[in-house]
Order: sequence, then C-alpha cells, then structure tokens
Amino acid sequence: MTDTRIVAICGKGGVGKTSISALMVKKLSESNRRKILAIDADPAVGLATSLGITVRKTVDDIRKDLIGRIQKGDAPGNRQTLELIDYELFDALEERDGYALLAIGRPEDEGCFCKVNSLLKDIIRDLAGKFDIVLIDGEAGVEQINRRVMKTVDHLVLVSDTSVKGIGVANTIALVASDKKAVDFKRMGLVLNRVRSETETRDISARTKLEIYGWLCDDEVIRDFDFRGAPLTSMPGNSPNLSIVSDILKKMDLTA
Amino acid sequence: MIETLELFTDTISSVRDFITQISGKRSWTAKDKPLWPEGGGHNIVLKEDLGVELGNPQMESLSCLLWTHDLASIENGRITLMGPDFPESTGRSLPFGKVVLAGVEGFTQDNAYDLHKDLDFLRYSINLKGFMMRSVSQYMREWCRISRVAIGEGFSARTLGSALISLFLEKPFVRAVEVIYITSSPEDVIRLREITSGAEKVIAAMNKMAAEMDYECENCDYQEVCDDASQLKAMRDRLMKKSQEACID
Repeated sequence: MTDTRIVAICGKGGVGKTSISALMVKKLSESNRRKILAIDADPAVGLATSLGITVRKTVDDIRKDLIGRIQKGDAPGNRQTLELIDYELFDALEERDGYALLAIGRPEDEGCFCKVNSLLKDIIRDLAGKFDIVLIDGEAGVEQINRRVMKTVDHLVLVSDTSVKGIGVANTIALVASDKKAVDFKRMGLVLNRVRSETETRDISARTKLEIYGWLCDDEVIRDFDFRGAPLTSMPGNSPNLSIVSDILKKMDLTA
Repeated sequence: MIETLELFTDTISSVRDFITQISGKRSWTAKDKPLWPEGGGHNIVLKEDLGVELGNPQMESLSCLLWTHDLASIENGRITLMGPDFPESTGRSLPFGKVVLAGVEGFTQDNAYDLHKDLDFLRYSINLKGFMMRSVSQYMREWCRISRVAIGEGFSARTLGSALISLFLEKPFVRAVEVIYITSSPEDVIRLREITSGAEKVIAAMNKMAAEMDYECENCDYQEVCDDASQLKAMRDRLMKKSQEACID
C-alpha cells in the first residue's frame, strides 16, 4: 500500500453512519484534487443511495459470477482470475466528479470460497492503494470490514447518536477492534450524531474513553433529504453540519 | 536438434493481408529509449481526468500476441496505427485493437507456453505516467485510459508502442517486435478478432493444458483445435508424458 489514507466508519445500525459517510465524501471530493474512493460495505448499498448513485455491479456480483464459473468447471487459471477480477472491479467503479464508489453488495452466502474471497480482498486493497483517500461505510461491526474489505485502516471512526445503546455499541466495537485485534488501525475516534445540546456531548464524554472527533446537530435538512431519498451530495453548502464535517476531517488530518 | 514450434504462421499472414488492405494507416519507428516518465503509486486514470479511452467494456477491444521464428516476417521496431492517434481524439472513447508480432528464438514444445505467458504479461510492466490499463487475456480484451494531462503532453500510439517494444526486446529470446494498433472503427476491430480467432483458440488450448493437466482428448472442447495443429498435439503429448513420469516417480 502506498500513502493512501483509509477511513472505516462503523457504529450501531440507524445512528447515521451512512449520512455522515456521504457528507464526508462530499467534502473530501470538493476540497481538492485528491483521488477519493468510497466503499459501500453495507449490503443495502445505503451509501450509494445517499450519493445518488444506482449501482450497476457489486463486488458480490463479480464473486458470484466467478464462483458460478468454478462450479460449472469453467475456472480460469490463477493469473487469469486475478486479471479478470481486476478488470471487473474497475468496471464496477461508479465514477463521479471528485470521487469513485465501489459497492461490496450482499455477504457471501453460498459455501466457502475462501480463495475467491481472498483474491477479491487482495485486489480491492491494490485498487484502494491507487487512491489518496479511501472511505469505507461499513456495517455495525469491524469484523465485517476485516472479512469483506480490508484488515488495516488508518482511521476507525465510530458513529453514535446520543442514546445509551449507541454509545454502548461504539464502546464495544472499540473494545473488539483494540483488544481482539479485529481490525488494525492507527487512530480511532467517535463522531456523535443528532446531538441536541452541548450538555449531551459533555455527558457522553464522561461515559466513553474514546476521543470525540466532533458532533453533528440534529439536522432537519438531512432528515428531509433522507425522507425524500434525495442525495446528500446536493445538500446546500451552507448547512451547519457540512462545516462540522469539514472540521472533523481536519481533526482527522484528511484535508489538504 | 530440438524442433521449434510455429503456431501462428497463418494468423500472422492474415493480419499482414488485413493491414495491407486498409488505407490511411501510419507507421513510426519505435524510440530507442522511451522518454515518457514513469507513473507513481497512484497511477490511476478516473473519468474526471480522462483524455482518451481505448476499448472500454462497452466498446470493441482485442489484444493479441503472436510469435514466430521467421524473423524476416517481422519489421523490428515498427509501430503501425490504423485510425486516429490518441492526441487527435481528446475526449473520445475509441475501439481498440492491438496485435504484437514478436520474432523469437527457441520456442519449443517444452517451453512455448511459459515463454508465451512471459511475453503476454509484459503489458502489466508498462508503467507510464497518465496511462492505465486493465485487461482480460481470457477474452483478449484490453481497456486503456490516458489522462488529459498526458494527452496534452503528447502521449501517442508511438509513445505506447515504443514502451512495449522496449520491454519485449529486453527478453533474451526476443529478436524483433512490431506493434499494430487499430482505433479506426468497431468493425475493423471485429474483423481483426475474426482474423485472430484461430490464434485465440490455440492460446485457450495451451491455457487449458497448463491449468487442468487433463489430457483426455475425447471430452475436451479444444480437440478440434489440437487436431488441426499437429505441433499443439505434440505439445500435449509431451506434457502428458511428463505428467505420467511424475506419477511414476
């Protein structure tokens, strides 16, 4: 891997991971000429929807196609498999102004094809290494990031709303990542979402040891965009949460 | 004396006939030392930086490597282009045909497959700033992107061909190399695919022999290809013999 910076976003379901990921992609893609890769590791491809993208092909589509061929006895050789995956993955990229998106798709469900999964991970890692910043919108746990995308990230960003459950899940993920080495990371922090007062953030600071990268306020604009299914990339530039996301990215050292 | 292998004589001859028939082609001699800078670790060309695209998955694309021991039939260092050159095509997505003709020595039934692969993989060693390539050798497809900046700085078919020829000539068993590019029309690339289809089958048969080590001809999809190419059949017989010896050991 070159000097690519990899950010993985995790947290309890429904806390706003995908919205925050989409806003981060929007700000990163606006800020400079760096190459940004967004990886949608959520089986429901929520990040793609939030970015206004209809996904044509997912990594899982490629995997299933390859496994289907192996099962039919039409298995290409090792080198051919590698170049086929490389070609198909590049074709699966959804390229937009300032960034590209790769959707992982549904989890594996038909038997163990460890070799195919391992090759896919290797080539995703190689592809990611061609970008300056990679942002992975994951499922709740870090294990899925490791199993389906990559084992090593620079930033592990845990997202939570202000609920006790949300913070509890964030603390658990942090524990699994650190103590059980579910994923290798250099830095980890918490982003709070749907915060209504500073008192809430002070209270939460007392309940977690995690560094708080920043907090987003409860935003009617995001709620409205989500309700209408409108892409968050078209959010007005003066939205307060967008400038908060910029500050978070600065804190994470991801702005030029 | 070990007999050298010739598998592509007819195809090379057909490719030559095809090129001769087409008007408006241009040729250059490869530059001795390609002066184009190497790409860095982030050498990827995304749509927003795209100058010219060649053979994308929605376009016709063909990439074929043919070799022969008949060195006189190869114009060493010659790059031929049929169709618009890259700097003349800014903002366009073009069909792409590529044939590499290599004059080689020492390709025998024992080593031809390995040496062919060795040459075929050289395309992955091309690392030029602003140039990106993806390929599927199984389908003989190649998909290239050249950045707007590279096009602006004059990246052309000659630049690409020179880099490829230079890599081929580094191999001790390569004596001459010639590259033909087609960007003229999808129909021309389709025609080229038809012309090279025999070679495609031969390569697929070699791939199968090497990958599966299954020498039961009766059930093999490539039986007809081997029946038509006696040297390919001999190559299979040698592999089969080697395999049996390994079993006895």
